[in-house]
Amino acid sequence: METLIPLIAALPLGGFAFTALFGRRLGKRAFVVPVLAVVASWLIAMVVVYGALTGQEPFGEHGVGVHLWTWIPAGAFQVDFGFFVDNLTACLLIVVTTIGMLVHIYSIGYMSHDRGYWRFFAYLNLFMFSMLLLVLADNFLLVFAGWELVGLSSYLLIGFWYGRRSAALAAKKAFIVNRVGDVGFALGIMAIWVNLGTLNIREVLERIGTLDHTTVTIIALLVFAGAVGKSAQFPLHVWLPDAMEGPTPVSALIHAATMVNAGVYLIARTNPIFAHAPEAMVFVAAIGIFTAILAASIAFTQTDIKRVLAYSTLSQLGYMFAALGVGAWTAAIFHLMTHGFFKGLLFLDSGSVIHAVDGEQDMRRMGGLKNKIPITYATMFIGSVAISGIPPLAGFFSKDEILGEAFKNGFVLVWAIGLLVAGMTAFYMFRLMGLTFWGKSRVDPEVEPHIHESPPSMTIPLILLAIPTLFIGLVLGWPLGGGLLKTWLEPVFQDAVELAARPETAFTFMGIDGALVIASVAVAAIGIVFAWALFGVEFLGIRRAGNPDRVRALAARVPFLYRASLNKWWFDELYDLLFIRIGGRVAASMWWFDRAIVDGTVNGIGALTADAGRGLRRVQTGRVQNYALGIAIGLIVMAGGYLVIAGR
Amino acid sequence: MPFIGLGWDDVLFLLFATIMIVASLAVVTMRDIIRCGLALMVALGAVAGMFVLLGAPLVAAAEVLVYIGGITVLILFAIMLTQSKAAPARLVFQTQAVPAAIAAIVFAIIIAITVTATDWGAVTSRLETATDALARLLFRDYVLPFEIVSVLLLAAVIGGVFLARREGGDPS
Amino acid sequence: MSNSLDAYLVLAGIIFAIGTFGFLARRNAISMLMSIELMLNAVNLAIIAFGSFVQSLQGASSVIALVVMAVAAAEATVGLAIVIAIYRNRRTPLVDEYDTLRQ
Repeated sequence: METLIPLIAALPLGGFAFTALFGRRLGKRAFVVPVLAVVASWLIAMVVVYGALTGQEPFGEHGVGVHLWTWIPAGAFQVDFGFFVDNLTACLLIVVTTIGMLVHIYSIGYMSHDRGYWRFFAYLNLFMFSMLLLVLADNFLLVFAGWELVGLSSYLLIGFWYGRRSAALAAKKAFIVNRVGDVGFALGIMAIWVNLGTLNIREVLERIGTLDHTTVTIIALLVFAGAVGKSAQFPLHVWLPDAMEGPTPVSALIHAATMVNAGVYLIARTNPIFAHAPEAMVFVAAIGIFTAILAASIAFTQTDIKRVLAYSTLSQLGYMFAALGVGAWTAAIFHLMTHGFFKGLLFLDSGSVIHAVDGEQDMRRMGGLKNKIPITYATMFIGSVAISGIPPLAGFFSKDEILGEAFKNGFVLVWAIGLLVAGMTAFYMFRLMGLTFWGKSRVDPEVEPHIHESPPSMTIPLILLAIPTLFIGLVLGWPLGGGLLKTWLEPVFQDAVELAARPETAFTFMGIDGALVIASVAVAAIGIVFAWALFGVEFLGIRRAGNPDRVRALAARVPFLYRASLNKWWFDELYDLLFIRIGGRVAASMWWFDRAIVDGTVNGIGALTADAGRGLRRVQTGRVQNYALGIAIGLIVMAGGYLVIAGR
Repeated sequence: MPFIGLGWDDVLFLLFATIMIVASLAVVTMRDIIRCGLALMVALGAVAGMFVLLGAPLVAAAEVLVYIGGITVLILFAIMLTQSKAAPARLVFQTQAVPAAIAAIVFAIIIAITVTATDWGAVTSRLETATDALARLLFRDYVLPFEIVSVLLLAAVIGGVFLARREGGDPS
Repeated sequence: MSNSLDAYLVLAGIIFAIGTFGFLARRNAISMLMSIELMLNAVNLAIIAFGSFVQSLQGASSVIALVVMAVAAAEATVGLAIVIAIYRNRRTPLVDEYDTLRQ
């Protein structure tokens, strides 16, 4: 079993190398090797996952490590290249490899007309390798390597159509904003090394209790900084919406299902550190829930179908961090998995819609597509219901568990905001459905005759993703309050749970838990009905047209909120002012300082020497009498000196 | 016969000293260089007189013969050979004259202080050197220096003649 | 006064100082040589004065003074010859106008 684990990551790496070297020559057939590599990686991953989750040898309860070689043997600083698989890793592997494989298959059809076909698959494989390295790594430095590689792959893929200026700028923005978070993460790793002397994750988590409270809190906050960057939480959330410039499979894979989950995974993996620092956890929850409501509010007014989904992703990630912060560790991972599936489904669906209307992404020019692209419609409908948290689909179980835990652990404010966001989520998702699929067609008349369903290479992944979207909630989360996932992840989080020392109450459907469930479902339903009233619906015999006048009237009543939402709460403008303009001035003044003072000092010393030399040169007059005077003066001084000394 | 309470010796000393100092000042400050040369003669004469006073008559005679009769004449000849037409209108002193004056005065003061402060083991009256005693010293005890000096004089004469020759006398 | 060594030595010092001033301050090369002669004479005076007042130096001082005189003569000869030779090239006896080696 240990020999299989490295293969999971090595196969995509090999696919990347092969495609990078030879892909150009293969033209339309460039997809074969990368897709096969990923499929094989998925198969091996499933075997490994099965072994881990059923507790087979050598996994046991706490996982197994595979040591490949010693990466950095530098005296006291020892870092190995090794992998570690336990139940948490297994859950992540399920999400990463499955969605990765389906996105690769989807891309066969979606990118078939692109000139950079081979490049796309090479980058996708590179990304798979990076993400798997990150998830499988057994020490922080290797995680950081995977972290950075994932950022690189993201940059390459967002800016895939590099000829487009907006894409290039978006890629740069993503990379730079990520970097800001990465600085925090790097500092956290350094802090860990300085205080604990090791970077091996297991050893660190065992020893973390020996540090004093302030140090642990600082380390926790620094590690969280990295997660903020990678998972696009406030205030580093600005890159994710712009990242939609990349092709839709990229958005589905990286920015919905895998890369943005890296931050959640990191915090879950390092849960003992956070458990020792309750203040840090409160901070995590605060940032998470704030991002959730911020993003949801922006999603209300966006007109680009991918942007709505991007803000939705931000919002759901906020949920996950809020869950981590309130101590609902299992719920966070649960939501990570369910969200990966239905968000991946929604993005691939949006790609299918865009493909159908010949590249149009503005929802105001869609509508009435329900009967023209039935498979896409059906799967997207399933996805929307799932994300809204309607039972018995996946989203309900995970979202409800987060809200329930928040309330029961005493974070009532988090629960209240989370409930509100659930309603908002339902609203904007069905706004999307209404604008895109229902009502009259507002599609460009030239495009309308050509609307067609996508080829099977695209629809099959959609159907395949719809299945877990429907059932994974039941499989992992039933019965409520217990369930398969909880048993799997219990050994991973038991230290954190013990430290929190909260009373473990059983799930009482007839008591508080039941009330919370009903509350969340009710709020979601209200959101959906409200969306139907404004944007129309054609479902199960309910027919209602959209009401754009009422929408406008509503918007006119809250002009500030509407404009704020439309302008993304002016964060991009704020950052431009702070960092580009003011930062630019600071940089210019630093440059002045460097030129005038630093260079000036150095040049000044040179000038001083030259001038002194020039001045001293005038002593050499060439006239004997001047020199003789010098001799006479010297003689007098010496004689006088002797006189004075001898006279004492 | 004492003069204002001073003995003859003191009077002569003061006389010769005054002449010496005035003449030396004339040598270094006068504009016309021929007058400087003549003042030099006077100064050297006073020195010779001082030698007699100090009981070294042979040296005094040598002073008159060699210095006044030889060197000063040589200097006057050189002045004659190096005079140019535009003589009167030029500066006498260098730009560094004032620092030089200050240096000289300070120098004199230092010598005066040093000399008066030292115990030379002097006797209170002057001793005389008889000529035959001097001759004995010169040709018996110090005959080597005597011979070397004569060679030196020969070299100087030859060198001087060579240097001052008319046809392309190379100074180096 | 004439029986004290100090007086003669101070006098010699004064003459030496005057000679130094002349050497440093005059422009004409021959003036400089005359000043040198003054300095040498001052030294001679001092030596003879020592011989007159210090028992152990009695005869030797005269010998030294004679040697000094001879050397001064030789030096004056050569020096004047040089000045004449330079004068033939530069047409001036003033030392601050001998500046071909300057920048």
